[in-house]
Amino acid sequence: MGDSSSSASYIRMVHHLIEKCICFNLNKEECMEALEKHANINPVVTSTVWKELEKENKEFFETYNKDRAERNIEAETMQRIQKMLSDAAASKGSDDDES
Amino acid sequence: MLAVSPALCPDIEERAGVAGDAGMEVVGMSSDMEFDFSVDDIDFGDFFLRLEDGDVLPDLEVDPAEIFTDFEAIATSGGEGVQDQEVPTVELLAPTEDVGVVDPCGDVVGEENAAFSEAGEEKGGCNHDEDAAEANADDGADGAAAAEAKSSSPSSTTSSSQEAESRHKSSSKSSQGKKKAKVDWTPELHRRFVQAVEQLGIDKAVPSRILEIMGIDSLTRHNIASHLQKYRSHRKHMIAREVEAASWTQRRQIYAAGGGAVAKRPESNVWAVPTIGFPPPPPPPHPAPIQHFGRPLHVWGHPTMDSSRVPMWPPRHLVPRGPAPPWVPPPPSPSDPAFWHHPYMRGPGHVPTQGTPCMAMPMPAARFPAPPVPGLVPCPMYRPLTPQALASKNQQDAQLQLQVQPTSESIDAAIGDVLSKPWLPLPLGLKPPSVDSVMGELQRQGVANVPPACG
Repeated sequence: MGDSSSSASYIRMVHHLIEKCICFNLNKEECMEALEKHANINPVVTSTVWKELEKENKEFFETYNKDRAERNIEAETMQRIQKMLSDAAASKGSDDDES
Repeated sequence: MLAVSPALCPDIEERAGVAGDAGMEVVGMSSDMEFDFSVDDIDFGDFFLRLEDGDVLPDLEVDPAEIFTDFEAIATSGGEGVQDQEVPTVELLAPTEDVGVVDPCGDVVGEENAAFSEAGEEKGGCNHDEDAAEANADDGADGAAAAEAKSSSPSSTTSSSQEAESRHKSSSKSSQGKKKAKVDWTPELHRRFVQAVEQLGIDKAVPSRILEIMGIDSLTRHNIASHLQKYRSHRKHMIAREVEAASWTQRRQIYAAGGGAVAKRPESNVWAVPTIGFPPPPPPPHPAPIQHFGRPLHVWGHPTMDSSRVPMWPPRHLVPRGPAPPWVPPPPSPSDPAFWHHPYMRGPGHVPTQGTPCMAMPMPAARFPAPPVPGLVPCPMYRPLTPQALASKNQQDAQLQLQVQPTSESIDAAIGDVLSKPWLPLPLGLKPPSVDSVMGELQRQGVANVPPACG
């Protein structure tokens, strides 16, 4: 079916899209979902290209994944802190309101 | 530029034509001057002698074109004013070979100028007034012939005074006319310039003072003035970027102070780095501060960036400003890969959200114009934990939730962008997978590659 050049360009396109998703800090699954949803790309294809990219760019993906993990932790922590602060603010605010 | 070579140009009309073309009316003999004369008629010695009396013009780098433009102006004005004056003799109109005049060397400049002005004056009377007017209007140089011819005539006492006058006029004009001399702003020269400016203070730096301090003879006030203008605008640009980066860094700091969970990024300059992008081997920490400094300003792959200027200007003027830019000194955190990649990951997160096509190395200035854009910042840590804004915390919290993940619309926009513009460069520039292995894998999974007609 697809001749080699169109396959190659298709793969390149998927690669490009995956890179875009990485810019958004998506993980593989999220990426598959996004590409399927917005670009009609078979998630299997996305997954395959992702895996191949990972093979070719091991270091990058290692760091990327690590970063994501960290980021999640940070986000969590941030949320906790935000919550604490908002709780504090809420109680403070209610004090102000009352006075 | 001069279209006419300094060599003898015996053919007057030819020169007139040439002058017309080039717009360099330096040598324009108007074709209405049909005299039979040749170069030999002209006594150049006399010509030069006369003119040596006048001001000796400094030998600056001059752009002859510019000078002649000035001359033309003078000649024109001179000519028009004097059309009804004396009627010079035919001798006066001997078409002086403007060889000497044409010579674009600085020494002769004034002579030419003088010649033109004089010529203008002389010619006005000689030719028909209209012709003269035309010629003078179009071709200040027409008069050159007349003027030069005149110089050989002893009978022009009036003309010599006019000569002196116009020469004076022209020489003063020409020294101003030389203001557009091409100056090569070498790094060394620029460094001295910056030193002078800093010494005076950027606001108080006046070209004349700068010139004094630099003490370089070949520079004119105008050169300095235009360079100063460029420098100031460049500084503004740098400062704007710096401010943005600094404010961005402050938010980062706030986060880092509040976060604490990740000790990896204690420093505040993380966000200074994003522009460096993803170089797999992160640069060593210590040379980095300087590089950090320069790098963000060096837009990777940005065609208009003048990389030779970048290293020079920012360090020069920003470094002396001391610790003001908070992002300068602190070296990157110990965990370099994380340091480099993490901010890089986030930085470009802004890219698609702003609907811009992928740019591998986003500039802080370009990319973080409004850091707290709600809903678009993929990383929550940019929500500043501003202690004073407790009342508005609730809103921020709500926004924060959204920011944990990029919005679907932004992703959609980015994807759409890629689909519609396949020629765009890859945002990350990852090494592409081998087509064969992808195809093989797909076949194993039972997928035919052809871009599917429908999802």
